[in-house]
Amino acid sequence: MTISEPQKRISEQALTVWKIAASLHSLVVWVLAGGLIAITILFDFPKWIIAAAIAVAAVYSYLFIFLLPTLRWKRWRYEVREQEIELQYGVFIIKRTLIPMIRVQHVDTQQGPLLRKYSLSTVTVSTAATVHEIPALDMEEAENLRISISRLARVADEDV
Amino acid sequence: MSDPKRLHPIAAVVNALRQLKEMIIPFLIFVVFGSRGTDWDLFYFFGSIGVVVLVLVYGVLSWYRFTYRIEQGELRIEYGLIVRKKRFIPFDRIQSLDLSEGILQRLFGLVKVKVETAGSGGMGLQDGEAVLTAITKQDAQEIHDYLVSIKKSGQILQGEEEPESSDDLLYKMSVSELLMLATTSGGVGVVISAVFAFVFQFEEFIPYEQIFDGVEHFVQNGVVFISVVVFLGFLLAWMIALFGTMLKYANFTVRKVDNDLVITRGLLEKRQFTIPLNRIQAVRISENLIRQPLGYASAYVESAGGSALDQESSKVLILPIVKKRKIPGLLEPHLTEYHFRVNISPAPKRAYSRYLLKSWLFTLPIIIGAIWLLRPWGFGALLLLPVSALWSYFNYKDAGWSLDQGMLTFRYRNIVKNTVYMRKNKVQSFSVKESFFQRKKKLATIEAIVKSGHGGAGGKVIDLEKKHVDTMYHWYSHETVE
Repeated sequence: MTISEPQKRISEQALTVWKIAASLHSLVVWVLAGGLIAITILFDFPKWIIAAAIAVAAVYSYLFIFLLPTLRWKRWRYEVREQEIELQYGVFIIKRTLIPMIRVQHVDTQQGPLLRKYSLSTVTVSTAATVHEIPALDMEEAENLRISISRLARVADEDV
Repeated sequence: MSDPKRLHPIAAVVNALRQLKEMIIPFLIFVVFGSRGTDWDLFYFFGSIGVVVLVLVYGVLSWYRFTYRIEQGELRIEYGLIVRKKRFIPFDRIQSLDLSEGILQRLFGLVKVKVETAGSGGMGLQDGEAVLTAITKQDAQEIHDYLVSIKKSGQILQGEEEPESSDDLLYKMSVSELLMLATTSGGVGVVISAVFAFVFQFEEFIPYEQIFDGVEHFVQNGVVFISVVVFLGFLLAWMIALFGTMLKYANFTVRKVDNDLVITRGLLEKRQFTIPLNRIQAVRISENLIRQPLGYASAYVESAGGSALDQESSKVLILPIVKKRKIPGLLEPHLTEYHFRVNISPAPKRAYSRYLLKSWLFTLPIIIGAIWLLRPWGFGALLLLPVSALWSYFNYKDAGWSLDQGMLTFRYRNIVKNTVYMRKNKVQSFSVKESFFQRKKKLATIEAIVKSGHGGAGGKVIDLEKKHVDTMYHWYSHETVE
């Protein structure tokens, strides 16, 4: 009865990109922690604040740079079939989404500087009511995907 | 086809008044904060008058510039004071004409016509939309007739026979239903908070403290007094809300004209909405906390574009309040794609503990906080435990689904109990969510989204049997052969 799970994974480079992005924003956390430590030393606040700040920043970095991107990447699957697109993603809560081809209004690819460096792009699929994103595909694959989706998508006007 | 026409001059007044209404808050701030210093009183006085005059002049000039005409199957509007703009709307792109009559329009026997196209939703002036603020009823009728003739000729070209125009009364609200609607509407809460905000606004001017000092000796042994005052306040708020709802929904009528639902309502300001049947995306039946025990419910349709109620989403109220058991009889003959007598399968028993846990996750911090901070009385917060248990029981009991003849039904409760009826071909996307804990219990959350106005709306049911969820997922999949 159950439909087989989607099989295709997103690019392995995605993991690298996510890790770089996460490093950038955990840098902010480290700066904040550094500021807190400086204040603690200046005003002679209790010493445990220093330890706590370092611990929080370290745990944050570990979670967002190493653990979560890996889990997220492992979970991300997609599949484009004749009649529908299926996505499966999520770290703790796994979400599976079906988008019928006849509901697809348009497909976009986009890439930021980081994605461009690794020649990846993100594909977004829009229906009349929702927008779905497949992150970090190889550029060529994303392009093919966009073309094949727009070829398969036939919007049935009367249903919208 | 027709010469350029101007709107009725009253349109200038209506527009100027609307401008002034939008300015009232900055204006009040200006006056309240400005008039403290005495030297500048005159400046502020003339400044205010100047602004009003400017707005009026602007209103008249833009009225003068605004013309519309029907030409080559298009509604052509030219407007704009400084930048001249033209908007041409082909009649076969027009989804509906909405008529409304404000108080000013009614005095002069005029109507406001709002032209809705597929591109426009419920968010004020959008691209592809046009508003004729005040034209005579006769002119409005002409535009309407023209629209009908264009639509009909289009259908004939497609080789269809000319359909006979029909006009069936679907529902007319009775006086007792209007009273029922007004007394149980949720608007009461809004008014109550507005009254409170209003009262505290004038703290500076009304010497509450003196008043309270004066009655203190009385109050100290008179909790009764305060209760009475509070009660009267609530009663007043409730009366205002009651009155407002009655004015807004008086004469509520739903008719089916050809392939449209036409809704008219209002006592002082008459409004008319049109929803083409083929734009209906889903039907929603809502039962709020007061109405449910009394067996009453309201019905909405989610509409894709077409006419929406003002700024609200494209959720259009079609039955404000009726006995729930009457709904199938009222709607089924007209919304033939939907049927409302479905067998709803509930969530499995083991889901209840998750519902309970989730509600306690919210209430426990509150209880702990209350006990911590307000020592003796804080323990009263423990009452929240059984209340939230009961609440989550209701949420659990109301969760359910049904699959029946190409129609998907979700039932769930947030605060209001909702039942959403959707056709497979209107559902834009379909998702299943499973958390780690849900997987262990073989439960899953299901969500379906339909188009509503510019965005999406739909339904979500939490913690249904995984097997059932798979059935629905399978049903929605276009890949598998049914």
